[in-house]
Amino acid sequence: MDTKSVKQYYRQHRKAIIVALSGLFYAGGWSIGYVPGPAFDTASTAILILAAVVGGYDIAKTAYHEVKSRTLGVKTLVTLAAIGAIGIGSYWEAAAVVFLFALGSYLEGRTMRKTRNALEELLEMTPDTATVRRDGEQKEVPAREVEEGEIVIVKPGEKIPVDGDVVDGESAVNQAPVTGESAPVHKADGDEVYAGTINQEGAIEIRTTGSGTDTTLQRIIQRVEEAQEAQSPTESLIDRFAKYYTPAIIVLSIGAYAVTQNAILSLTLLVIGCPGALVIGPPVSIVSAIGNAARNGVLMKGGEHLEQAGKIDLIAFDKTGTLTKGETAVADVEGFDTDDDEVLDLAAIAEMKSEHHLGDAILNAARNRQTAATDGGTTVDQADDESPATETQSLPEPDDFDVVAGKGVVAHHDGREIVVGNRALLDERGIDLPDDVAEYVREREERGETAIHVVLNGTVVGAIALHDELREAAPGVIQELQDADIETVMLTGDNERVAAAVADEIGIDDYRAELLPEDKQDVVTEYQADGHVVAMTGDGINDAPALATADVGIAMGAAGTDTAIETADIALMADDLERIPYAVKLSKATRWNVLENVGLALVVVTVLLGGVLTSYVTLALGMLVHEASVLAVIGNGMRLLRY
Amino acid sequence: MSETTQLRVMDFDCPSCASTVERALGNVEGVDDVEVHYSTGRVEIDYDDAVADVATFEQTIENQGYTPQPA
Repeated sequence: MDTKSVKQYYRQHRKAIIVALSGLFYAGGWSIGYVPGPAFDTASTAILILAAVVGGYDIAKTAYHEVKSRTLGVKTLVTLAAIGAIGIGSYWEAAAVVFLFALGSYLEGRTMRKTRNALEELLEMTPDTATVRRDGEQKEVPAREVEEGEIVIVKPGEKIPVDGDVVDGESAVNQAPVTGESAPVHKADGDEVYAGTINQEGAIEIRTTGSGTDTTLQRIIQRVEEAQEAQSPTESLIDRFAKYYTPAIIVLSIGAYAVTQNAILSLTLLVIGCPGALVIGPPVSIVSAIGNAARNGVLMKGGEHLEQAGKIDLIAFDKTGTLTKGETAVADVEGFDTDDDEVLDLAAIAEMKSEHHLGDAILNAARNRQTAATDGGTTVDQADDESPATETQSLPEPDDFDVVAGKGVVAHHDGREIVVGNRALLDERGIDLPDDVAEYVREREERGETAIHVVLNGTVVGAIALHDELREAAPGVIQELQDADIETVMLTGDNERVAAAVADEIGIDDYRAELLPEDKQDVVTEYQADGHVVAMTGDGINDAPALATADVGIAMGAAGTDTAIETADIALMADDLERIPYAVKLSKATRWNVLENVGLALVVVTVLLGGVLTSYVTLALGMLVHEASVLAVIGNGMRLLRY
Repeated sequence: MSETTQLRVMDFDCPSCASTVERALGNVEGVDDVEVHYSTGRVEIDYDDAVADVATFEQTIENQGYTPQPA
């Protein structure tokens, strides 16, 4: 090793080396002290002082800066105690205090580094370079220099360097770094991909929408850090307590010396004067929990929200897109004195220009009758606004068309009037509902399907039943929440009968039917008035007001939608219902963890104080217990990293 | 010109150490605003780049016994 690398090694491991040396001198000085003879006594003293100086130099230096900047820190107290101990001839105590403190700090720094590194793994997911197509050539450039609109080529097995849309090729992409979901997601033309995710199968070309710090992953990481830094109510409470605790102990220490003339006693008080475990515990718990959540695709907005989420006793779910897949499809078409296909075509013509998701489902069914009643693919992609597939084949456009909000549509085509809508629309227009149609509608609704009527020139000619498939995970998730003593409620715009059927199928505790979007917020308020701590789950866009009103707003499938991330207290990056019990349980575990840490710290401080005042606890023992308790709360908090 | 920079200190061993570093950085001439976060080890500094520079900040942090890294 040349001098340069020795220096470098020393720089990197300075703290460990100092602790080791101090420990070595301490042990040596202590042992030599047992050898009888005045020469050995002097040697022992000298070596113990050396241990204190070696281990204490850095501490004293920081203490000097603490005093200079007028903060009263732990290092000032320890320095005072060590100098005091040497002053009264307690060399062994001085060396012990310094060594134990240096060792404790070293271990604390190391473990905290581990906690702080939890996010580093995520950052390292983004590759440094990208292959772009420039002037018809492939070029490798730094990933952060890729400009918006540029085409990036990603080979199989490579990490995706930028955010963008797939323009060529298809592949399976592991999005775990962003969404926490390890199951690969199929990506083809037009699909969005995120920087840091892993292209597993085929080569794809991406049109860049964001690079460098302007990517979804970077934004998530930045938010996670802000969340970790935000103080929770418990933390601010403790900080306020600590502000008075330390000066109080110093006053006590001076007072104790004045009364008892016992220098060791007042020095020991100084050592335990820093409420170490108390101030370190809660932030470690919260940082660990938020870090763990981030790696699982759950963005917790901060300690405050975590603590709040730990108190949830009721979760309200928006039905469509949350408990269901949000992919409405036609389940059945029934004509009455009319051909089934004609009923579907009539409805499709009327709904041609409608933006409603039921209308889209009818159009899709009409365009592709063969697959009308089956569920589409295997992957759950966020559906695009337009169905990219086939253009209007034989279906003509209506001559005119009106939406009756919340009820249906009225259209004219080729001299005919077509009305497609619910019971309320029929009532409004004075259209008679034949018994056999009513019977059919009721039967479909009892299965949890939404049924709408098709009316031609004032006569009901048929009905269409639409089905939004439940997520497979829904019943299990509800069960899991119920097992955790959390009440579950479904909020829906569907009518009573449909809601009851769906609620029954997933085993949810309660439901509220026939709600307009703005009603959901009121329902949340009602539950809060009943004394519940309410979480609201939704997509974070349509139900943003309800999410904001709830004590904890949970948005699903938030990756890529900044609005949802903005509104929610807890944002699930993946469109994955099963993250909800995880997030809720993690919050509860965190709340307990914080309480455990605060409890342990208070017990330790009380016992130490009592022990010191009754002279059972000496300087070195006080320091040992103090450092041990700090390491204990850090260790306990870090359990949440592996929750 | 007013500038903002981020540094990272991964080896803070107690919350009060972070506050001490924050004060020390705040006393550096040319620093307008500084925030040091114990939980993440992130150091944010707003400063006037005609008066202060990043090397001074790193030196200040090192003087306190901690290791600054680029963010």
